Amino acid sequence: MEITGQLLLTVLMGAFLLGVAAFLARVEEWRSYTPLGAGGGAVGESGYGHAEKPAGLIRWFTTVDHKDIGLLYGAYATIAFVVGGLMVMLMRAELTTPATDVLGSATFYNSLLTSHGITMLFLFGTPIIAAFANYLVPLIIGADDMAFPRINAIAFWLLPPAALLIWAGFFPLPDVLPAQTAWTMYAPLSAGVGNGTQANVGVDLMLLGLHLSGVSATMGAINFIATIFTERAEEVSWANLDIFSWTILTQSGLILFAFPLLGSALVMLLLDRNFGTTFFAVEGGGPILWQHLFWFFGHPEVYILVLPPMGIISYVLPRFAGRKLFGFKFVVYSTLAIGVLSFGVWAHHMFSTGIDPRLRASFMAVSLAIAIPSAVKTFNWITTMWNGKIRLTTPMLFCIGFVSNFVIGGVTGVFLASIPVDLVLHDTYYVVGHFHYIVMGAITFAGMAGIYYWFPLVTGRWYQRSLAKAHFWLWMIGTNITFFAMVLLGYGGMPRRYATYLPQFATLHQVATLGAFMLFVGGIIWIYNVFVSWMEGARVESGDPWRLEATNLNTAEWDWFDTKRETSLAATDGGEDVQTDGGQESQRDS
Amino acid sequence: MDENPGLSEEYRMASPWPLFVALGLPIAEVGILFGLVPLAVGGLVLFCGAIAGILREAEYAASGWRALAALSLVIAGGGLALLYADGATESDLVVRAYSMVGAGVLMFVGGVGGELFARDAEPAI
Ligand code: HEM
Ligand SMILES: [Cu+2]
Repeated sequence: MEITGQLLLTVLMGAFLLGVAAFLARVEEWRSYTPLGAGGGAVGESGYGHAEKPAGLIRWFTTVDHKDIGLLYGAYATIAFVVGGLMVMLMRAELTTPATDVLGSATFYNSLLTSHGITMLFLFGTPIIAAFANYLVPLIIGADDMAFPRINAIAFWLLPPAALLIWAGFFPLPDVLPAQTAWTMYAPLSAGVGNGTQANVGVDLMLLGLHLSGVSATMGAINFIATIFTERAEEVSWANLDIFSWTILTQSGLILFAFPLLGSALVMLLLDRNFGTTFFAVEGGGPILWQHLFWFFGHPEVYILVLPPMGIISYVLPRFAGRKLFGFKFVVYSTLAIGVLSFGVWAHHMFSTGIDPRLRASFMAVSLAIAIPSAVKTFNWITTMWNGKIRLTTPMLFCIGFVSNFVIGGVTGVFLASIPVDLVLHDTYYVVGHFHYIVMGAITFAGMAGIYYWFPLVTGRWYQRSLAKAHFWLWMIGTNITFFAMVLLGYGGMPRRYATYLPQFATLHQVATLGAFMLFVGGIIWIYNVFVSWMEGARVESGDPWRLEATNLNTAEWDWFDTKRETSLAATDGGEDVQTDGGQESQRDS
Repeated sequence: MDENPGLSEEYRMASPWPLFVALGLPIAEVGILFGLVPLAVGGLVLFCGAIAGILREAEYAASGWRALAALSLVIAGGGLALLYADGATESDLVVRAYSMVGAGVLMFVGGVGGELFARDAEPAI
């Protein structure tokens, strides 16, 4: 048995490598080997040459163009968001009744819970930010491309295997069970000790997948730092670098310090699981060591996820308030301050673990302090809108929704930062409510603001306005119903991460499910709208679709869009290859 | 293609290698972690081969074959380190060590062979 298995694997692997070799030979034939040089040296070909990119599917597999890679990240994040969203809809369905009547098994619930968290944070959150950053940062700072275009492509292509590994437990593979460790992967459960199922290879695969996604994020971060430092156009100085690039730069710095640490901790955990080391065993380093390492990564991670969305808000919101961002400098400073402080608060996730009370107090102090720069930003957004000429377009609605939800998410966080309050609320639904106000109500809302705002830029078409507004209102109301119900559940003492609960919590859980259903409907509308509008939406008729010139708030990426429109109007070369990328499509017949 | 002049349009914007770097790494990781020899060897060959391809393409290395041979030494070295570690721990690292050494030897032979035989196919500069 063993031998035939190995033999089969060898044959498969050999065949696969041969296939790769054949593919490479074909692609190489098409290429004329005009080398790109280290940082992308100019070749001086006309922009219309067909030689630059192969056609069809192969183009997407071989592209190193930052815009293509941005779109790939976007598509990937969307798929992950749908998967994570469907998982949580199953969980919310389960939670409509106190017993496990719907899914039938708490084990399955725990698997969904784990996968939902990891999918949303690592496969949706980080990639959707990379999508915006890849597409826009080079355009905004006037760079030709990313500093290392091929590393950029590697960073993206690591993600699909990462997703397959993370979801492996759900595939019908023999003896591979999904992880049930929750996204925090606390030892000793995650180390696979005890009588449960968590010694299973499904957990190893999940850890490997997570490790890969970390490698990907780190490569991306190095690339953004290099790009923003070295590839700026001459007229873009540090003093007038835009706010979005500032947040990407800060985020990349955080990634650079946080993700390698997660990677190392994951490797230690894998060694504990498979090779008998005792890093996190009670007789070795101890389970608390895992918590320290995990949260030293984990808290910066939440800011890794929130800073660029804050950048999107700071970038987009002023366009529809008819004024420049209020206190630009202070928004930048507060970004940097958050970046630094975020490494000094990790133990606020461990207040109830019995760590030294003096340590606890200092972490409480820094956690309260980090609320200050966050509040600075909030006040700056509000003062930007104050007395402005506000246009309630869909992106603006999502921006305002962001600010509103961020206020609730932030304030609930400040309460958690206070030790006595946290000892009561820790591991209740209050915490779940707190961070979902931020990850859903703020981060995802900013993503949507960005998607609607740059939709014309990327596709050359308009989305359907009324559908977009329906999406916003369903989400705004749905988010607040779902997650406020969770805050209340937490006050009532409902612990988090359970498939079952006492009957007294039923009503609020049903309310939360109702809100989640609104989010679900809104999400379907969003997907439909983006998809259909990309294919057949009304064409954008001007290089300044948001009429930013009128208020003198134009930005570089729209200049690029304008030039691109004009040159393609002048030189209609009727590109014949049909792409899935409507951005090209829109110019074909213009 | 109806790409347009703008910023990045004037550069060659395709490379076949990144995809395979990204495929090789997880295959090799899974192979080494679980001691599955074919995956470990195949994954390492794919991973290092694609890296060598990139180094050649970006002109960091004059010859992809030589780059591959250099990488093979790193992998074989890693395998030897595992072999050494095997003596120091209770867990069984031998299969993993030998698959790394084996992959290293394979790539070394491939690299040297390629350098000797495939080089003249390219224009002599
Ligand atoms: C305004 C500043 C913030 C403060 C003072 C704060 C404070 C806290 C505290 C003390 C906890 C631990 C609660 C517990 O488990 O007992 C917590 C949990 C959490 N916070 Fe925040 N928070 C803030 C902002 C944010 C932001 C911006 C995000 C996301 C981008 C975020 C995401 C999370 C997450 C994901 C958890 C739960 C981790 C888990 O146990 O699974 N927080 N927050
Ligand atoms: Cu935290």
